[in-house]
Amino acid sequence: MLNIDGVKGLILLSFSGDIIFKELNPILHETVENRDWRGLIESLADIRETDLIFEKGRLYIRRTDLGFLFVLMGPFVPMAMMRLQCDILLPSLKPAKASKGIRRFFKK
Amino acid sequence: MIKNVLLVDDEHEMLLALKEGFTRYRDSFAVHLASDGLQAVEKLKKSVFSLVVTDLKMPGMDGLELLAHIMEYYPDIPVIIITAYSTPEMEHLAREGGAVGYIAKPFLIEDLARRIMATLRRESEGGTLHNVSSGMFLQLIEMEQKTCTIRLEDKFSGKKGILFFHEGELLDARVNDLQGEDAACEIFAWEQVNLAIQNGCALREKRIHSEMQHLILETARRKDENINAEVSPSVLEEVKPFELDPPTLINSIRDKIQQNVGPASGLEDVYQDQSWDRLVFQLSGAGEFLTIGKMMLGYIDKGQTSDFILLPGENTTVISVNPKCPRDKLLQALSD
Repeated sequence: MLNIDGVKGLILLSFSGDIIFKELNPILHETVENRDWRGLIESLADIRETDLIFEKGRLYIRRTDLGFLFVLMGPFVPMAMMRLQCDILLPSLKPAKASKGIRRFFKK
Repeated sequence: MIKNVLLVDDEHEMLLALKEGFTRYRDSFAVHLASDGLQAVEKLKKSVFSLVVTDLKMPGMDGLELLAHIMEYYPDIPVIIITAYSTPEMEHLAREGGAVGYIAKPFLIEDLARRIMATLRRESEGGTLHNVSSGMFLQLIEMEQKTCTIRLEDKFSGKKGILFFHEGELLDARVNDLQGEDAACEIFAWEQVNLAIQNGCALREKRIHSEMQHLILETARRKDENINAEVSPSVLEEVKPFELDPPTLINSIRDKIQQNVGPASGLEDVYQDQSWDRLVFQLSGAGEFLTIGKMMLGYIDKGQTSDFILLPGENTTVISVNPKCPRDKLLQALSD
């Protein structure tokens, strides 16, 4: 997705506001770690997808099985292409299957 | 009639917390925000407010200076002071200056809301009327020689105005920054109004010297000559969109979508809704943090029967659209 013209970075935040993955410019790379994202994540609670236009760029946020994917972009981005990439890639982004743990000793 | 309450505080977080806390009272009053006294003075020129709640210590113009300004120019507007630096002397100064309430921080939002509601109730203690002809009613006030303050809302434009009567005599009128006879003529031109009557009149100075009958005739003449005709902005960028009156803003958004996207825009409704403010605040903060500047607009998909486009402002403007709408075209049109 980072190969699409105008896409500047990606952040994947868990539903509790923790950073699962990030790919950003070096300046933002560290500061995003220190930010408390919980307020934003809580306010996104019932949102499936949002496409935001800012003065100097765009931000696309998409709900996934793991949390929210943030795509940081410049002002001119082929949005349809970017959304299509998300449609194709996101279904493969699934939580790792947890081992059955102690449950395996009990009958269903 | 929804009443306008102006909250003034230099602590942004405090303002937002109050605004959010007051959302459950939105059927009774609408909240407007100012970050200091000077901004409050500007807002007072642009709208009719029923109450001001102000902090005391602020940069530029502080709460006591704002209180003095309101007592001089808007003596009908009650003021409640909130402060984190409460002393008996400060309270004495505030009461002496004309404040109707004084609350020390920290306080419960519910307590302040109760105080606001009690103060606002006084505004309509003399009764409220809906869908009346302003000219007919005001002549009745004159005939009955009433002393009262009447707040009116034009059913068509949503504009608000205020008239001051002393023993049936019209002393003054105010619509936004218009005062005196010009404001009275504007109010008399409103054909259908909702109004609230408050017994008593805080104003003493007489600014209107013509007879009411004369002003009503003058209004009719102005209407005929179209002197007072207002030209609505045809496109959003001609004026700062979020400083428009809500009805004008909403109409200009509808026009813009109609002109740029056409009948297949999927547009369902345009309205203002404070319940989106928290989300907009959070998203705006994220944009600033990610160095892409101020949020201009956002498209929201909740997987419901409608999607939403949000325009940040003092109150968030919401455009509800069919999910099958031409999203990119709409966003392009609204962001141009």
